[in-house]
Amino acid sequence: MNNLIFTFKKLIFIIGIFTCTSLTLSGCANDEYAIEARYWKVKKQAEKILSNPHTTPPNELERTVINLNKFSDKFPKSNLGIDADFSIANLYIVKENYDSGRAQLRKIIQKYEKSKDLAAQALFLIGNSYELQDNWPGALEQYKKITRDYTETIRGLEIPIYIAQHYKTKYEPDKMITAFQEAISHYKAIAAKHPVTPLAFNMDMLVAQCYSEIKDWPSAIDTLNSMLAAYKGKVGFEEILLSLSSIYSQKLNNPAKTIEILEVLLKEYPKSKYTNSAKEMIKRLSAHGNQNHIP
Amino acid sequence: MVSLKRVYDRTTQSIKGNPVLFLPFAIFAALEFISLITIYLAPRMPLKLLLGPPIRALWGEKFLHYPVNFILIPKLASLARMGLTVILGSFLTGVATLLVYNLHKKTKIDLKKVFNLALKKYVSLFAIVLLFTLLFYLLDKVTSKLLIKYFVSGHTRLLFLGPKIWLGPILICLNFILAVIVQSAFIYAIPILLIEGETLTKAILKSFALFKKLFVKTIILVGLPMLIYIPIIVLQSDSAFLITRLFPEAVLLTAILSLIINSLIIDFLITLTTTHLYLMHRDE
Repeated sequence: MNNLIFTFKKLIFIIGIFTCTSLTLSGCANDEYAIEARYWKVKKQAEKILSNPHTTPPNELERTVINLNKFSDKFPKSNLGIDADFSIANLYIVKENYDSGRAQLRKIIQKYEKSKDLAAQALFLIGNSYELQDNWPGALEQYKKITRDYTETIRGLEIPIYIAQHYKTKYEPDKMITAFQEAISHYKAIAAKHPVTPLAFNMDMLVAQCYSEIKDWPSAIDTLNSMLAAYKGKVGFEEILLSLSSIYSQKLNNPAKTIEILEVLLKEYPKSKYTNSAKEMIKRLSAHGNQNHIP
Repeated sequence: MVSLKRVYDRTTQSIKGNPVLFLPFAIFAALEFISLITIYLAPRMPLKLLLGPPIRALWGEKFLHYPVNFILIPKLASLARMGLTVILGSFLTGVATLLVYNLHKKTKIDLKKVFNLALKKYVSLFAIVLLFTLLFYLLDKVTSKLLIKYFVSGHTRLLFLGPKIWLGPILICLNFILAVIVQSAFIYAIPILLIEGETLTKAILKSFALFKKLFVKTIILVGLPMLIYIPIIVLQSDSAFLITRLFPEAVLLTAILSLIINSLIIDFLITLTTTHLYLMHRDE
């Protein structure tokens, strides 16, 4: 019996030592996981406010902002530290405290001045905050600043189309067409600065998209055709051929040209994921064409 | 005729005076606990160096980050338990069975002798538990795959019920019933192997025959303790819910609770009661 008690005690002792050592070792470590665990708790507080901003008491917002600030000060180099800074701005904005929100975003621009992407994102959110206040000129000023100062960031590339889409949703066709034309010139200028690069390829695709938005089909087709010539052998053309075929079939009602392009797609890319749908479309268009010729 | 009441009475008596019966189960629970803590600490240094690459390769990088890693804990804990059951659980169940046999014979318990006896039969014990575990694992996978295939192929109803009910509570119940039946079929193989000294194949076949003969009693003795585990199955079926509604560590606490219930209550009760039933039936 004594032996047994001794065995049980030994067992519990071994487990205790193992658990304490492991937990202490991991608890002391300030590794990525530990930072994530800390942030999750602070973020959870912020999410509560974000999901129900109007019923949150002011002291709750204050407490959360203090915690987020503490976190970002402690881990300024971590991505989560940056996320904490943006969360503070978001909290102020959802609580309709726009001035504090914008001040926080300007602080972010200064704090991360070396990162153009972060600065562009912060400016974009400042613009959004003006939009929330129904102040489009204020927002536009920020968006123009992004296109001017942070041209080649992700936000910088998206913003010209974002502006045009704004006029589209507000039913202002003249302003929309002007904005799309400005976007086209902007993208063409970037493409000319970096000829035959992946960036230029993406810019040309955006140009074609803008022409399509303003229903300038010949220009969209010209852009796509010039891409076929400029990037031959450098990138896959499946997407371009599909865009061309969809313009010919849906916008210009030209089944013969659509079939011709789809046949090029099947010939050049026999293993493409679009093979089956291209074959189906050719079949459908051919049948439709034959039906139209029945006297 | 051995009644269930007599089996439970005998089991209670044997537990009361002999805490040694807990030893094999306590050892298993301790090892399972250590494996659980290791799994919990897998995304952290220094264990990340060792466990990070396989987790990343099999499930993805996100499972090495807080709190997503908690979603993987029940699955990894279940796999670890499966491995431990086959490698060590088989041996420790053998030890427990021999302890019950010694008590039944009213002979003095010599732990060293019992461990040695179980060790001698380790290969057969390992084979029995491996067979039973693989069978259950395969049946479990086949059932869920068939149901998923049925609903993915476009069916919206099966016996008037939709996929949410079939793949949720009904699948849990089906797996539970399968677990009870498979475990019941193999439950007498270890006592027969160790007490009768039968060969592996004969022990398994005799276990099937005895299960058929004592069907209702065996199902009750195996199934009744396993009912305690149902709330844990329900809790573990939706770890994301625990993480978002409570806190991520709730998943770990559930896993610890599952370990205690499984190893120290269910396995303990099933092994003791069924061995007693087997011995009492044999005496009659």
